[in-house]
Amino acid sequence: MVDGRRQRALTGHVLSAVVVLLVLTFGTFSLIRVTPGSTAASIAVRQAGPGASQEQIERIRHELKLDESVVTQYGVWLTRALRGDLGRSERSGRPIAAEIGEKLPRTVFLGLGSALLALVMGFGAGIVAAVVRRGPLPGVLRAVALVGVSVPTFWMSFVVIAVFSERLSLLPTSGQSGPVSWIMPWLVLAIPAAGTISRVVAVSLSEALRQQYVTAARARGVAAWSPTVRDALPNAVGATLNVTALQLGTLLTGSVVVETVFGWPGVGAWFVDSVTFRDSGAILAGVLVFAVAFILLTRTIDVVQTAADPRLRRTEVR
Amino acid sequence: MRGNVRLVVLALPLVTISLAGLLAPWVAPQSPTSTDLSASLLPPSGGHWLGTDQLGRDQLSRIIWAARTSMTVTAAVMVVSFVVGVTVGALGAYLGGVVDRVVTWVVELALSVPSMLLALAVLGIRGNSAPNLILALSVVGWAAYARIARGAVLGYRGSPAADALVGLGAHPIRIVAVHVVPTAARPAAVFASTDVGVVVLTVAGLSFLGLGISPPTPEWGQMLVESRPYLDSAWWLWLPPGLAVTAVALSSNLIGEHLGIAPELRRWRLRRMPDASRRTVARGVGRDAEQPGPSAGPEPLLRVSGLRVDLDTPAGRVTALHGVDYAVRPGEVLALVGESGSGKTVSVMGPLGLLDASARVTGRASYQGTELIGAPEETLRQVRGAGVAVVFQDPYAALNPLRTVGSVVAEALRPPARGDAARERVKELLEAVGLPRPDVTIDQYPHELSGGMRQRVLIAAALAGEPTVLIADEPTSSLDVTVQSEILDLLRDLGRRRDMAVVLISHDLAVVADVADRVLVMYAGRAVEEAPTGALISSPLHPYTRALIDAVPVVGRPTGTRFATLPESDHVSAGREPVDGGCSFAGRCVLREETCLTGAIPLSPAAAAHPDGVGGLTGAHQVACPPALVRAHHRQHEPEAAR
Repeated sequence: MVDGRRQRALTGHVLSAVVVLLVLTFGTFSLIRVTPGSTAASIAVRQAGPGASQEQIERIRHELKLDESVVTQYGVWLTRALRGDLGRSERSGRPIAAEIGEKLPRTVFLGLGSALLALVMGFGAGIVAAVVRRGPLPGVLRAVALVGVSVPTFWMSFVVIAVFSERLSLLPTSGQSGPVSWIMPWLVLAIPAAGTISRVVAVSLSEALRQQYVTAARARGVAAWSPTVRDALPNAVGATLNVTALQLGTLLTGSVVVETVFGWPGVGAWFVDSVTFRDSGAILAGVLVFAVAFILLTRTIDVVQTAADPRLRRTEVR
Repeated sequence: MRGNVRLVVLALPLVTISLAGLLAPWVAPQSPTSTDLSASLLPPSGGHWLGTDQLGRDQLSRIIWAARTSMTVTAAVMVVSFVVGVTVGALGAYLGGVVDRVVTWVVELALSVPSMLLALAVLGIRGNSAPNLILALSVVGWAAYARIARGAVLGYRGSPAADALVGLGAHPIRIVAVHVVPTAARPAAVFASTDVGVVVLTVAGLSFLGLGISPPTPEWGQMLVESRPYLDSAWWLWLPPGLAVTAVALSSNLIGEHLGIAPELRRWRLRRMPDASRRTVARGVGRDAEQPGPSAGPEPLLRVSGLRVDLDTPAGRVTALHGVDYAVRPGEVLALVGESGSGKTVSVMGPLGLLDASARVTGRASYQGTELIGAPEETLRQVRGAGVAVVFQDPYAALNPLRTVGSVVAEALRPPARGDAARERVKELLEAVGLPRPDVTIDQYPHELSGGMRQRVLIAAALAGEPTVLIADEPTSSLDVTVQSEILDLLRDLGRRRDMAVVLISHDLAVVADVADRVLVMYAGRAVEEAPTGALISSPLHPYTRALIDAVPVVGRPTGTRFATLPESDHVSAGREPVDGGCSFAGRCVLREETCLTGAIPLSPAAAAHPDGVGGLTGAHQVACPPALVRAHHRQHEPEAAR
C-alpha cells in the first residue's frame, strides 16, 4: 500500500538534504573565491605556467570564467558537478571525479569494516554492562569506554604500531596486503565510536530494564531472557540510533587520520593531501563527497528510526 | 559536598596542564626550541626528565610549551564559539519569529556536517596559521552553544518570572543583560567543560596532519608526527605527548559524565551491593507461620507470613515491610489498603521475586504448597503468570510501546501456543475482558488504545496463563473515574467466574469497599487492621482506619464537617522505626498512650476484647492497637455511647 504521508516525509528528508549540500558547497566555493592566494589570480597563474604575461593570465581568467560573479561561477561549477565533472586536480592534472572514483571504494571498505567493529564492540560492551550490573565488570567497561573515547586516534595508531608492528612484528604498519593489514586501521578507527556507543547503550538499556513493562513481562512468567531481549533491548536500541548514526559519521573524520597514518590510499588521505597542497577544486569536491556520505548516513538512520517505532508511524484508521 | 570534591578531582588533569601551559615561560626548565645535536635522542635522565628529541631539545619543556599552544588555541576557539553561539542562540529565542527560524535552521545546518572535515577545508583554502585554525574550528563550534542557549532562553521566556519583569516595565536592555544572557550562558558554560576535550583533540589532530600550528612552535600532535621515525627506539618521544592529550580529553569527558548523567550512574552503582539479590529463608522472624488463618473456608491459595522486605534506596537501606501476614482463598477478593509507601505493593511483589534485584525478602510465602521465598528463579517463573498473575497500576508503562497487544497477550499463554491457535486464544481472551473488537485490537499498539482498553489488555494478558491468583496493583488509579468501576467490576466477575483469588491493592478504601470481601489495612510496612469489608467499614477500630474512612468525602454533608485529614508527622514514610519498636502510627495518633511507644504491637483478634463476640466483632476482625481494643470493649458495653 502506498503510504502518502511516509512518501511526503521522505521527500522532505531528501529536499532538506539537498538544501544543506547546496549551502555547504556554495559557502566553500565563495570562501575559495574571496580568499587571496587560492583565488582566480593564482589559479590562472598556475594554469598559464611560469613566466606568463599579464595578458595571458587575463585570458585564462576569462576562459575559466574567473572574472564573473561568484554566483555565476558557482552555477557553472554546479551544472558541471551534476554531470559528474568536478574539474581537474591542480596537483595531478587528472579529473577529480576519476581520482575520487578510484579512492572511494577503499575508504568505504575501511569505513564499513570499522563501522561493523564499532557496532559489535559498542553494543556488546554496552549490553554486558547493563545486564551484568553487579561486580567490577560494568565499572571496568565504563572506564575502558571513557578512555577509548578520550585517546586521540592518531596517538592510538602510534601505540598499536609501536606494540604490534615494531615490538612484536605481528602486523604490518601499512599497505593493503590482505586481512592482516586491515586489523589495525579498522580497530583504531572503530574504538572511539565504540566507546561512545557502549556508554549510550549501557545507560539506555539499564534505563529500559527498569521500566515497568519489563517487570510486567517477568510477571507473565516468560523465559528469563525474554524481557531483556524482547522488551528492554528494542526500546534501548531505538533511543541509541541517533547517537549511533553520529558516531558512525565520526568514522569519516577518523578515516582522514587513519588513512594518513597507515598509508591507506583512500579519499581521506587524498583529502589531506589536497588540503596541504591547497588544491581548492579538490577540497571543494572532498567537502561534497564527505557531506553527502554523512548526510546519507544520518538521514537513513532517521528514516529507519521512524519506520521502526510504531508511535512515530502513521496510525491507520481501521 | 562530595559531588563537588569529585568534580575538582576530575578536573585536576585539565587544570594542571592548562596552568603549566599558562606558566610555561617560568615552569619549563629549558627553552623548547634550543637545539643541541650533541645531546640528541637522550633517554630520560636527571638533566632531561623526559629525555631529548632528535634535535636535542628538552622533551619536558616542549610538552609544557605545547600545552601553552594547545590551550591557547582551544581557549580562543571556545571564547569565539561561546560568545557567538550564546549571542545568536539567545537572540533567536528572545526575538522569536523569523529571526528564530533562521537561527534554528543555520544551527541545524552547521550541526549536520562533520566539523573536523570542514575545519580541514577552511585551512586548505585560507592557509596555515593560528588565526585560521581558530576560525576553522569556530565555524562549526558555535552551533552547539547556540542550540543550548536558545533552549535555555526559550524556557525562560515561558516562565512567570519573565512575564512579571515585562509587567513591571523593566527596560528590554536590562532584561537582556540581567536575565536573558545569564540564563543562556549558564548551561552553555556547563557544556563548555565537556567541549574542551573535543577541541583539544581536534587541534592536536589537525597539527598531526601538518595543519594549524607549524614548527618550530611546539604542539602535541606535531611532536607526535616528528616522533614517527623513532616509534621503536625512543618511547619518550611519542608516549608523553599522547598521554598529555589523552589526560586533557579524559578529564573533560569525565566532567561531562559527572555533570550530565551522573545521577544515572550513581543509581547504577547502588545495585551492586554485596549479596544484594540473595533471598534468604526466614530466620525466626517472630511469628509462627502455622498460625491458623483468621477466617474459615477452603485452603488458601496464597499464604504469606512474617514477610519482611528491605530495599536499597538513595537514602540507604530501608525496611519496607516489617513482617506481614495475609492469605487468599479461591473466589475471594482481598484488598490491601494503605497510603503510598505503606508496603502494599512490596508485600505482593516480594514473594514473586518481582522487586529490584537488590531487595532482600525474608519470611514465608507459599503458593499451593510451593515455598516461594528462597526458591530458585525457575520455580518462581513457573508460578508467575500460570499461578499468580499481576495487573499493574499504570497500563501504559506496563505495556511495551513497541509490541502489539496480540504479542503481549500471546507470550503469557499457558500452555504456550503459536500461530493461529495462539491468535484464536488471544482473541477469546480479549473478548472475555470486554474489548469490543478483538480482531482489530489484537494488531494494535498500546498508544492506539485508551487507558481503560490498555488495562483490559493487561487483564487479558494476566488471564492468559490461567492463574488461580490474580494480583491487581492499583489497577484503576491511573484511569478516569467512569472507567474505574468498570474495571473493578470486571475483576470481581472474573474472579468469581474462574474461581480465582483476587488481591486488590489500593490507597482508596472507598474504591475497594464495593468489591472486596476482606480488607487488610497497612501502615508504614505493617498490617494494622484486618476484617471482613462490612465489619471494617461499620466498626473500624484502628485510629488509622478510622481516619481513612473519615477522609472519604460524603456528598450532601456541609463542607468542613466530618471530613478529617491526618496530621503530618515524621513517620509518614515507610521503614522509620518508631521509638523502641512501638506503634508506627503513634506520631499521628489521637489515641496515643505511653505504652504505644514501647514494644511490638501485633495484630490481635478484636473479639478477645469481648469474648462474647457481640456487636459485629468476630475473630475475623483483628487490629494492632491496644487502646482501640479497650475502647471497643467499652463501646460494646455501652452501645448508646458509640461514636
